[in-house]
Amino acid sequence: MTSRREFMKQFGAASLVTFGVTPPTFLARAAAAAEASNNDGRILVLVQLAGGNDGLNTVVPNGRDEYYKARPGIAISRGEVLRLNDELGLHPAMTGFKSLFDDGWLSVVQGVGYPNPDRSHFRSMDIWQSARPEKEDVSSGWLGRALDSTADQHVGRVPALALGTDKLPLSLVASQINVPTVRDVKAYQLHLGPGSDAAVKTHRSTLDRLASRDAVAGSDLDFLRRTARTAWSSAERLKEITANYRPSVEYPGNGLGRKLRTVAEIVGSDLGTKIFFVNLDGFDTHSQQANTHYALLAELSSAVTAFLKDLKGHNLADRVLVATFSEFGRRVAENGSLGTDHGAAGPMFVASPRCKPGVIGRLPSLTDLDDGDLKFHTDFRSVYAALLDRWLGIESQKVLGQAFTPVDMI
Amino acid sequence: MPDSSSELMQRAEITWSRREATHLLWRTGFGATTDDIQQAADEGLDRTLDRLLTPQPETEPYARADMLLKQSAIDSGNIADLKAWWLHRMLNSANPLIEKLTLLWHNHFATSNAKVNSVPLMAAQNDLLRRESFGNFRPLLAEMAKNGAMLMWLDSNSNRKRHPNENFARELLELFSLGVGNYSEKDIQEAARAFTGWHVRDGEFWFNEIQHDRSPKTVFGRTGSFDGGDVVKLCLEHAACPRFLAFKLLRQFVEPNPPVEHIAALANRIRQHDFAWRPVLRELFSSRLFFAAESKLSLIKSPVELLLGAMRALQAKPNFGAVARLLAELGQDVFEPPTVKGWDGGRLWISSTTLIQRANFATALLKSNQLGSLSFGRLQVENDVEWFVGLLLARDLEPETFAELRQFTNSQPGDAELRMRSLVQMIMQMPEFQLT
Repeated sequence: MTSRREFMKQFGAASLVTFGVTPPTFLARAAAAAEASNNDGRILVLVQLAGGNDGLNTVVPNGRDEYYKARPGIAISRGEVLRLNDELGLHPAMTGFKSLFDDGWLSVVQGVGYPNPDRSHFRSMDIWQSARPEKEDVSSGWLGRALDSTADQHVGRVPALALGTDKLPLSLVASQINVPTVRDVKAYQLHLGPGSDAAVKTHRSTLDRLASRDAVAGSDLDFLRRTARTAWSSAERLKEITANYRPSVEYPGNGLGRKLRTVAEIVGSDLGTKIFFVNLDGFDTHSQQANTHYALLAELSSAVTAFLKDLKGHNLADRVLVATFSEFGRRVAENGSLGTDHGAAGPMFVASPRCKPGVIGRLPSLTDLDDGDLKFHTDFRSVYAALLDRWLGIESQKVLGQAFTPVDMI
Repeated sequence: MPDSSSELMQRAEITWSRREATHLLWRTGFGATTDDIQQAADEGLDRTLDRLLTPQPETEPYARADMLLKQSAIDSGNIADLKAWWLHRMLNSANPLIEKLTLLWHNHFATSNAKVNSVPLMAAQNDLLRRESFGNFRPLLAEMAKNGAMLMWLDSNSNRKRHPNENFARELLELFSLGVGNYSEKDIQEAARAFTGWHVRDGEFWFNEIQHDRSPKTVFGRTGSFDGGDVVKLCLEHAACPRFLAFKLLRQFVEPNPPVEHIAALANRIRQHDFAWRPVLRELFSSRLFFAAESKLSLIKSPVELLLGAMRALQAKPNFGAVARLLAELGQDVFEPPTVKGWDGGRLWISSTTLIQRANFATALLKSNQLGSLSFGRLQVENDVEWFVGLLLARDLEPETFAELRQFTNSQPGDAELRMRSLVQMIMQMPEFQLT
């Protein structure tokens, strides 16, 4: 647990000076929040690989001849893979993940999926994000329900953030908590015009009062007013946080690197945020996939590795766990355009100094297939159960609606 | 709300007023000026619908600007210019409903220039959507399967006899005609074979005969040596098709989450009129469902509706390039939808980021010239708070809210016009302004 003193030390006297003589109220609030936080202020960073990541060219079964038979045009050759064990290796773009693996900071969970896989991007993404494969209902996300179940701990805090996206991802849709979606911290500021300080202050307080009136619970007006209150207040808090952050490593100049750098700034600030959601898009590799997939995996690997090393430099890495997911893997056999079509089961990565490193679970058979796709053996909700029960300290059964045995990865 | 589903589409019994007219005009167009509202209020519902559903002549200056904007987009090959052309149409056309429907179908057949990368092809697809907006869904679906931009967008050229590519067939069933749950994976695989060889060459449909699979296919339980045209017909005959379209229409024009009875009632009318839009729309826009209290102010404005609606109501003269860029930031980049699924709309338009940007839009419009010019000289206003609330929110507010707005207005510095600008800015930053 971070004590108030440690928090102040960590934040540094200098940063307090820049804000003026008395610490702004958000600092005092965040300090109190840090004191109150449980689970050592553990933080989950969920990275969505949108489009359906080709798991077989990510965690390559270079020990299996069937893999090379199914993919004569796009298989990763044995000489290129970054060795994990006798039969598996990482895609050559993932040198960062290879170093994390060698340092014991990476676990690879094999064969993750769900029954009766849906090959529509949208439906399958909804299933992963709602964690309710049996229902069409997509009114809440699994992390949203996790936040709702611990709502009393989040008063006055920003318990979750979606970064670099325009839309609030379904995963974070909750009924009692409104999760801010921040595309870019610099653009996340309310502009009220050129008036005097007093005029702007009156404007701001009027805005607050007009958004604070009661509306029918659950109505669109209620939703809009709650979102407005979250937006106006979090914009002010974030504005005050960012400027002074010094990363301890250089981040790669890619989109995911920039997003994770912002996550590191906020982790360092102790705003009380426990869950971050970031997106990496472009995995729908139907044709000529080699270069595209290389670039995406390089972005993922380099950005996550830099992020964890940066946090290590700030002595924060032990509090953070990164997990990746994608709506589906891709078909075992390549298609006629040197690409792969929508498939089913795939691997997930968990990266943290606190994970149980190594490869977890066997590779599904490459010949005993479900309509051309890998059969899953690990339900994705067992991975979620581990993230909830063993990392965030939130009872998974309440969130997932039934008991799943947590995957032994943390 | 009418309680029996057969009554939903019956003619509404309403007392026609400026409030009802405002509801109709915002839903069927992009905002309304005080004169637009007064004209509709004077004409009554029937004559207003006659006017909305019959192509109206455009003015000479409008037609000239329209032609110039389109020509310069084609000449420059810059999609930003084509966006400006369309936004000009939406804001200034004498036929806003046609543009609203074109936008609805652009979202339905969501195709992005990010991949198509051709201004002429995107313009041609847009013209097709517009042509059938008062027409019929049958030719629209059939022609869309052969549309140059669509063929490029969904990889038609890689759909070959030996290696079928499911991309178009999947979206045809999932997003263009039936919706998830009304077909099997096998149907998609078989339908994809029917579209093999439906290729594109020099931006035009090209039947590449040697790549077409002539062998029998089984789609929705029917077997034949189908080609793409046959599959389109099978989709149109499928019972799910009118329901899927009814859902799309209701979500656009009536309510965010249409219940099955409402979908069934409208689907019945679509079937009855055999996919011809004008009679369907006329019934919908005069129905009890459309004017039900629950339907009013139940939709969250899309970015296009928010920006153009405010600009039309306030008679602003926009910088369309700047407006298009702001629309992209707010999540509705016309001609570049994020995926083939288009924009989900509803609450997904709103996040704390976009709500901040929506509030900043009000500031930019009222307190700067970034988005265009706005003159309050043309607006003759007494009782400004009530007047602007009536124009922009079209709802009743509690007396305390009026008092709050009046007090705020009086507290702001500057002359009468500047205070009025602050008032309008504040009204547009109220959560209520996001609803239509």
